[in-house]
Amino acid sequence: MNIVTCFKIVPDDTLIKIVGDKLDLNVPPKISTYDKNAIEEGIRIKEKYGGKAIGVTAGNTDRKSIREALAMGLDEVIAINMKEQDVMTTAEAIAETISSIKPDIILTGEATTDSSTSVFSSYLASLLNYPVVTYAKSISIEGNKVRVERNLTTFQEIVETDLPSIISVVGEINTPRIPSVKQILESSKKPVKNIDYNKQPRVKIVNVSPYVIIRKKIVIEGKMEEAVDKLLNYLSQEGVL
Amino acid sequence: MKIIAYSEDIDYIKTAVSYFPNEYVVGISNKTTKVVDELHLLDDVNEEFIANYIASLKPDVVVTGSTKRDKTVAGAVAGLLRYPIITDVIDLSGNKAKRIVYSGMGIAEIEFSYPVVLTVSKKNIEIKEKESKIIQVKTEMRRVRRVEIKSKGESSVDLSSAQIIVSVGRGIGNKENIKYAEELAKALGGALGGSRPVTAELGWLPEDRQIGLSGNKVKPKLYIALGISGQPQHLAGIKDAKIIVAVNKDKSAPIVENADYIIIGDAIEFCKAMTEKVKKK
Repeated sequence: MNIVTCFKIVPDDTLIKIVGDKLDLNVPPKISTYDKNAIEEGIRIKEKYGGKAIGVTAGNTDRKSIREALAMGLDEVIAINMKEQDVMTTAEAIAETISSIKPDIILTGEATTDSSTSVFSSYLASLLNYPVVTYAKSISIEGNKVRVERNLTTFQEIVETDLPSIISVVGEINTPRIPSVKQILESSKKPVKNIDYNKQPRVKIVNVSPYVIIRKKIVIEGKMEEAVDKLLNYLSQEGVL
Repeated sequence: MKIIAYSEDIDYIKTAVSYFPNEYVVGISNKTTKVVDELHLLDDVNEEFIANYIASLKPDVVVTGSTKRDKTVAGAVAGLLRYPIITDVIDLSGNKAKRIVYSGMGIAEIEFSYPVVLTVSKKNIEIKEKESKIIQVKTEMRRVRRVEIKSKGESSVDLSSAQIIVSVGRGIGNKENIKYAEELAKALGGALGGSRPVTAELGWLPEDRQIGLSGNKVKPKLYIALGISGQPQHLAGIKDAKIIVAVNKDKSAPIVENADYIIIGDAIEFCKAMTEKVKKK
């Protein structure tokens, strides 16, 4: 089985800080949170059904993050260096790169933590003419059939489709493994193929400003009984109770 | 311009129409509405079918809602048409759009060119009704076949319109303790919600109660966060709350910086005291 996992390297969202009227994005990169679940799921499918697990990343090609993905258990990574990207150009770059691999299954995370669009998997599916199933919380494969339990927030849906297909996974599908020291050392021997892709996106971010709501931050001190009394006072002054 | 507005939730179609008030808008939905010029009424939601159906109409602009299924359709349509796509648009004028990025930390200003596929965030807008021509559309299953729908239980509430929300995080301790938050919510006449860890991960509350960027975005008058640390993804879902109260043992938790009133202490003790006092009022 040819398994392809798409992952994105993004600024660590837990370290991004607001400095004045700007967002400080000069923070260490990381593999986007749910893309790690996609990598883990790809490795698990490989372990169960055999084959090759290939990672594809586009945009930032931070070497350390790629090493981490390899140390987790991917066999190789294709790193597409893109200076500018949007969903469309990213999907085009990846579709072009992986069409010759003829993947049986392509995995992505439900969303990345930088742009959180959630539409990459279905965009790529249309380009490759694969069926797509989004928001998978469990995947089971039997022969050529894949059965997916989807989390659609207000309800759950179980669907079936045939391989080859594209599946985006939610964070709850698994717990990504933490590679051992040995795996980290061995990852340096695994192949990384670098590609440059330059195409001007038609969607351009011209500015990013902090999204902040100024809150009052009033800390209510005292014993719980008194604190609750004070809070109730504040809330009735606010007109919300 | 040929504009198509698709969503499984009419409020998104209203939002889409509000951005294009002077254009002829073709609505596509499984729900009826009279805010579009022409409505293609679907008998079911099948994302693959709908994406192909929309693409076959050769639109210049496709605007969809931002439910998980809406977004799946939007991505697929954009790929079929080879159009660029911008999701979760909170503001749109001409060829400029705004959307939330970096897990709710930033607002991006975007420039784009038409044709385009957009998914919009919900706005509370009333649109004047008109005579919509209705065309019935029979959906069909294609490569992805639905086997089963596990619907939410009857206890579910609409968090997106709740005025008071009591919300629990991992700091509540365990599943049993949630009853204290539930009693408080009941006493306040509010709804009960939870963070991603307690809903999707731990299952202490049903998944449809999840509040945050990837769950329900809420806009209550009063939001009480119990034992919620306040990760960016959670904060992004409660930015529109008028007043946020945080009860947390950890005074360095991010929620403290993002709340109006903060009580440093035990969430269960708080629930008991607050429930009693509210009942007496």
